[in-house]
Amino acid sequence: MAVIEIRIELKKGVADPEGKNTKKALEALGFEGVGEVKTVKVYDIEVEGTGEEAVSEGEEMCKKLLANPVIQNFKVTVR
Amino acid sequence: MVKDLMTRRDKPYELFDVSLREASDEDLAKISGDMALSLSLDEMKTIKEYFVKEGREPTDIELQSLGQAWSEHCCYKSSKAILKEFVFGIGRDDVLSRGDAGVMVFDEDHGYALRIESHNHPSAVEPYGGAATGIGGILRDVVCMGAQPIALADPLCFGYPDRKGDLPPGTKHPRYLMSGVVSGIRDYGNKVGIPTITGGMFFDERYTGNCLVNVACLGIVKRADLAKNYAGGPGEVMVLIGGRTGRDGIHGVNFASRDLTETSDEDSRGAVQLGDPITKEPVMHACFEVNAKHLITGMKDLGGGGLSCVVGEMALDAGCGADVDLEKVPLKESGLAPWEIWVSESQERMMCTCRPENLEKVLAVFDSWDVLATPVAMTTGTRRTRIFWHGEQIFDMDQHFLTTGPLYHRPYVAPQVSSMENERSPRLPDDRTVILKLLSDPNVASKEWAIRQYDHEVRAATVLHPMVGEMNKTGPGDASVLRPVPSSRKGLAAAIGCNPWFTALDPYRGGMSSVDEAWRNVVAVGAMPNALTDCLNFGNPEKPERLGELREAVRGIGDFAKALNIPIPSGNVSLYNEAPGGASILPTPMMLCCGIIDDISKAVTADFKGPGNRIYVIGETKEERGGSLLYRVFGGKQGVVPSVDADNVRELTGKMLRAMDMRLISSCHDCSDGGIAVAVAEMCISGQTGAVLDLRKAADMSPRKVLYSESNTRWIAEVSEENAEEFEKIMGGSAHNIGKTGGNSMNIRDSGVIIEVEDMRKAWNDPIWKIMGGQS
Amino acid sequence: MKDVKVCVLRIEGTNCEDEMADAFSMVGAVPEKVHLKQMERNAPAGLGRSLEEYDILAFPGGFSAGDYVRAGAIFAARIKSLMGPQLKSFVESGKPVLGVCNGFQILVELGLLPALEGTMSETPTAALYTNDSGRFECRPTVLRNDDNGKCLFVSEIPRKSLVMFPSAHAEGKLMSNDPDFVNKLEDNGQIVFRYVNPDGSDAEYPWNPNGSPSDIAGICNPAGNVLGMMPHPERVMTRFTRPDWTRNPGSVEGDGMMIFRSVMNSLR
Repeated sequence: MAVIEIRIELKKGVADPEGKNTKKALEALGFEGVGEVKTVKVYDIEVEGTGEEAVSEGEEMCKKLLANPVIQNFKVTVR
Repeated sequence: MVKDLMTRRDKPYELFDVSLREASDEDLAKISGDMALSLSLDEMKTIKEYFVKEGREPTDIELQSLGQAWSEHCCYKSSKAILKEFVFGIGRDDVLSRGDAGVMVFDEDHGYALRIESHNHPSAVEPYGGAATGIGGILRDVVCMGAQPIALADPLCFGYPDRKGDLPPGTKHPRYLMSGVVSGIRDYGNKVGIPTITGGMFFDERYTGNCLVNVACLGIVKRADLAKNYAGGPGEVMVLIGGRTGRDGIHGVNFASRDLTETSDEDSRGAVQLGDPITKEPVMHACFEVNAKHLITGMKDLGGGGLSCVVGEMALDAGCGADVDLEKVPLKESGLAPWEIWVSESQERMMCTCRPENLEKVLAVFDSWDVLATPVAMTTGTRRTRIFWHGEQIFDMDQHFLTTGPLYHRPYVAPQVSSMENERSPRLPDDRTVILKLLSDPNVASKEWAIRQYDHEVRAATVLHPMVGEMNKTGPGDASVLRPVPSSRKGLAAAIGCNPWFTALDPYRGGMSSVDEAWRNVVAVGAMPNALTDCLNFGNPEKPERLGELREAVRGIGDFAKALNIPIPSGNVSLYNEAPGGASILPTPMMLCCGIIDDISKAVTADFKGPGNRIYVIGETKEERGGSLLYRVFGGKQGVVPSVDADNVRELTGKMLRAMDMRLISSCHDCSDGGIAVAVAEMCISGQTGAVLDLRKAADMSPRKVLYSESNTRWIAEVSEENAEEFEKIMGGSAHNIGKTGGNSMNIRDSGVIIEVEDMRKAWNDPIWKIMGGQS
Repeated sequence: MKDVKVCVLRIEGTNCEDEMADAFSMVGAVPEKVHLKQMERNAPAGLGRSLEEYDILAFPGGFSAGDYVRAGAIFAARIKSLMGPQLKSFVESGKPVLGVCNGFQILVELGLLPALEGTMSETPTAALYTNDSGRFECRPTVLRNDDNGKCLFVSEIPRKSLVMFPSAHAEGKLMSNDPDFVNKLEDNGQIVFRYVNPDGSDAEYPWNPNGSPSDIAGICNPAGNVLGMMPHPERVMTRFTRPDWTRNPGSVEGDGMMIFRSVMNSLR
């Protein structure tokens, strides 16, 4: 068993309205000096395999469901 | 934990016996406090007496159950006497049910359900989750009548979203709350696929410390499928449906039944549940299916108090008791104590009862929808609730004692009523400045920022939308109208009415005015008002001034509704709406009025339809400016709060609806905040058409008083020249011609002021967009 | 005449299936709301269905599976694993497939649109991404029929004429990592609807509610039998649900009828 962490990020150049709106909300709460806010999605997934095998299974998951290659990059690591 | 007073039983699960019978007053208060029961000393004493009579000590789960059942939220202990005296029992034979939601006759085959509820305190702590679960709860109230939800309506009250300066400790900024609440309503409502068709936003500094989130739902049900909310009799199975039970939402009702404090934020996160609209959706479908197949005898949602309330109420209302096998309840996580399972308010759960011979079929239906359904209890002939944990009895209480709860006649003082005696009119700039300023007040300004985030068209039955007029250049509507039965042209109208400022200055008239506003909004679209539901948001009832406000407002609502013979088949009371530090909100009797229009093709919207038509004001304009928008914005003091006269309301309603039925009225708008000035301006904005006004004919007062008076029971109507004679004949002396449509500006002859429609649109349209971000 | 059977396919969170089915009924088809589970081999007795039984497949709007992961992604992944090949042959046999709103998002996630390189791509080649405004937008949108005779769903709508179908979505901006994407769609005649201003000129916000490039509101596959669009024709089957109907007298029929009648005509 291993736990893989899958991190889904927007590709460079894809606008991030959720991040922009979150930044505004933080400012409304009184946080000053908030710079760019990016939204990132992270999945922790328990899988049977370990090491390389776990990573390639994670990558398969990204291709089949978790990431849309048009707008998103993904990174799989074993935790 | 109260160590000396509580003894843990030697069992593998957590269960305490509480030494109550010998407890001193001090001990009783400590028990209530340490167990977070929110019960008063007197209530604890009553409970002590009960267990003395029973001849044993209570378990923790029994006390927790009482804490739930006897909360203000569950048993209305402070308000019930008042409600009984003034608003209960306006009987009409088209009331089909006064269950979890009210149900009224819609047509020969259908009934419509209506219900409104508050979700104030959770939303003040966690606006997104609080508002979302509010929607979830109100949907379930309608579903458990067997009704398909068809619309949501969400009136909200906040502090000024552009508020500057320090906030009271423990309070979140109104802009943040507003953004979170609107997102919560949007995400839940849109995802569950029920249109949010109307609502309202009220802004005042006095909501800064305690925002109000009221949620309403309408539904449609075949009359043959109308469901009950209680069991059919003893020997039936209680089946728990939907989500698993967890620690989320423990003590939510107790939280709703006391004032917010500086640390509510930290303390009460556990009392805010998390919603899941995607679980809700199949739950709804499955419930409709078992109901339509008549496999069940009753259903009810798990709201405040969770299992502890639903089991007792479903059994008691059927004259039964219940035996519960609590360990059968499916859990989100292991290790919950029995009392936690019993009072948890985890979302997306419902209970239904069925005859044992139908159980298998019922479970099969839920299985086919992938919905968890578990038999957890049986109804009995005993009138007692007993709970077992793997066979061991841990709870045994008389249902009547448990569920009925205390009833208080708390002391109150009649409020001071605002009058003309001490009235101080404000110094006003010219009418152009005044009108543009009134249009840009957040209470009047466009709420499009929120409205467009709500799907108000899903289900494809929205006939009159919340915004009306030229597409993407719209203005405010009055009531929204749905066509709930596609094969019929009959429509259901719904509108919110409330004037908290009137209510603060004169609660009796404020209550009446709130009804009048909701009523006239419905009439403005051509529908006959048919039923009301109310959400009474008030302060701490243990303070005599606050209770006096509630009492007077409820008296006003009741007197007026009785005189109009309009039933209130459901309602909700939310008390203890006070900011940390004890500042009360404005007394806020939120009214939702439903109406019926026989032919939706005759519905009327508020946008001026074109140039050259006559403009009428219908109803009498009086010197009533107490609490008016003009006074609030420009600093007027006191003054007379608008009155109502039920005979006049009935007469004018009849005439207006007749004229609309004959298609004589091209547009119609209710006259409220900001009086004639704002009403006509809004009709210009949505119709992209100007108007020339001559107010001398409207009333025997100075034109300025006519322009901004907020007298009740008035509408502005646009009537073409060719229909004018017929219209005037119907209206008798009730319609006063005050001008003509046309041009690109609102031209007030009396003062010589001319305001371009585009300037008015900008003043009205921009403010909230600017504060919240974005543009129309 | 033989019944035209429509499969209105849904899972948890699909929520526009009632009006989608009603719309097909109004033009004489026989719609059935089918849960994806019913397509499984081990579906409960009497409830099992297979795609071949139907003449038309429709994906209604909503938030399938909560739109978790991405709008439409979970529904699409489940369909692919359950009945990818059957779906592919359904499309290749020329039978009509309609996706509205979430349905369009599902078609893109399935790889059935834009389908520039074959019927159904392995991974999505486009995305319907968050609106430029960052908000859910529920508002009227005016569309121009830019189809050049290929799409089965618009034969009743005169070419270049305008219709009003309302929009209600938070993710409707069509994106691709191919910079030449719009030209390719144009060259293939796949652009069916564009957002326009009410006078027919190029749309600005809010008439283009999501910032979609070239104001694209709906596209079809190269064969013309798969149409995906963000706006909702099924919401305007009569004029009484148009937001401005009280201003404009007209026939009782709404613009949406033409979509459904067109596809019915294509099967006759």
